[in-house]
Amino acid sequence: MSTNETKPVELKLYKAHEKVYPRETKGRFQFKRKLAVFVLLGLFYFLPWLDWGGHQAVLFDLPARRFYIFGITLWPQDFIFLALMLIIAAFSLFFFTALAGRLWCGFACPQTVWTEVFIWMEQLTEGNRNKRMKLDKGPWNFNKIWRKTAKQAMWITFALWTGFTFVGFFTPIKELAVGVWTWNLGPWETFWMFFYGFATYGNAGFLREQVCLYMCPYARFQGAMFDKETLIISYDVARGEPRMRGKTRREAENPGDCIDCTMCVQVCPTGIDIRDGLQYECIACAACIDACDEVMETVGLPKGLIRYTTENSLAGKESRVFRPRIIIYGIILTLLLSAFGYALFSRSTIDANVIPDRNSFYRIVDAKRIENVYNLKIMNKGPVTAQYQVTATGLDGLKVDFETEDGLTAEPGELISVPIRIRADRAVANKKIHTIKVIVNEVDNPNNSSTETVKYFGYDK
Amino acid sequence: MPTQPITANKDFNERQIKRIFYRRLGIAIWVSFLVAAVQSVVFFAQFDPAYLNEIASITISIGRWQGYALGFVFFWGFNFITGLFCGVIMAMPRTKLAQRTAHK
Repeated sequence: MSTNETKPVELKLYKAHEKVYPRETKGRFQFKRKLAVFVLLGLFYFLPWLDWGGHQAVLFDLPARRFYIFGITLWPQDFIFLALMLIIAAFSLFFFTALAGRLWCGFACPQTVWTEVFIWMEQLTEGNRNKRMKLDKGPWNFNKIWRKTAKQAMWITFALWTGFTFVGFFTPIKELAVGVWTWNLGPWETFWMFFYGFATYGNAGFLREQVCLYMCPYARFQGAMFDKETLIISYDVARGEPRMRGKTRREAENPGDCIDCTMCVQVCPTGIDIRDGLQYECIACAACIDACDEVMETVGLPKGLIRYTTENSLAGKESRVFRPRIIIYGIILTLLLSAFGYALFSRSTIDANVIPDRNSFYRIVDAKRIENVYNLKIMNKGPVTAQYQVTATGLDGLKVDFETEDGLTAEPGELISVPIRIRADRAVANKKIHTIKVIVNEVDNPNNSSTETVKYFGYDK
Repeated sequence: MPTQPITANKDFNERQIKRIFYRRLGIAIWVSFLVAAVQSVVFFAQFDPAYLNEIASITISIGRWQGYALGFVFFWGFNFITGLFCGVIMAMPRTKLAQRTAHK
């Protein structure tokens, strides 16, 4: 700041926070946002109640260390899928940000979505923007008290319900509901329910745009993913300026299209003026587009004074969507998604481990044959009880033998451990060490298999 | 933007230093929380807290739920300390020498 002065200068770092009262808007983008709210929150509140094949459709069962996602059961061994999913999420973010800016912030971020709902409740109880501002300034009379109480009651109920649903993703929600009803909950459920409820209440009710401005890491680095072809919400300065209104406007010779009604400022949930240019506070909710379009229609000017456009097209240059950045991100994303899908649906639900018995190299069975002993461990990662069979390849005439009462049967999630003997001819297994493959597969579904490579000690005398 | 020399208004300076401290504290708490969440997911996907409890040298019995919670709190705590150290070290020491050199 000061390069030549030796005397340090104190700058005022922060402005006191001013409450933002976003004005309600209607329009095509607000319709899409509402749709997003209904779809996303609908999924959130509805999914835990859905059952699928005898268990809750989506359940992250942490105590049992398994995740149910519809027909798929994931175990800690499937960590790779979580990692892949996070990488895919990151690339989607890069792709969509490069394409059309902060789509995530405007339409899908939980912060935005829940804030929308909380603002609706505020409008329902306290009225529109002007009424809300007047109410906050006014004295604490009966009207203010009951309106504020009603709002708080709605907010708190909704937040608690949200906390309950959140915990319902980790604990079977029907048992949880009974627990709540009979006031008989474990300390963890109670804590997380109130914690998440409180976070919802605080973030969507009070912090709102401050979360985006001060707390969100994405807001700080999203600008790095923009280029001159990225779709951004922008005010057309060339068309709008000089802005003027009222008498000045009527008397002016050549006024710009902006009538300076400040509607775009009033509807903004983060309280910025889009006419100042692209700002990091802008969450791309497109409320200003809808508001301005409505005004332009009323005054009989063409719509789109504020619109989705690119930096290049605003500067009068040619603009193209398909550029190397988009194509490369697109290809990487498609590859990752296909790999993820393929890996997920072709994965084996058998986790087999073959551990050699370390006490002996080989045992002589009779004049012709020897055997090696192993310990076979099979874990059933599938959703149903399965029976398995074991075969071995790699040498001619290998024979697998084991003794159990009911064959190799494992329930979902069960780990069975069986000693197995693999026999071979002395004449064939005549080297010191051979390498063989032990194949475990499901009796009913032979394609579902797991192959382990192990050492086999031969008869080299 | 109103600016004033650091020596002109002592009260203001005191307030400002406090504000900066609380802001750094808030950032350290928040960022360490975010990172601890990710760390917990990655760590506990690989290691079962119940098994870790079995092989640990301490003799207190800790269940899975407690294990997850403790792990998260540990991660949060250590990340917070890291963040706080960063904040403290980032601030220039308020000595005359530092004041002379920092603004040249």
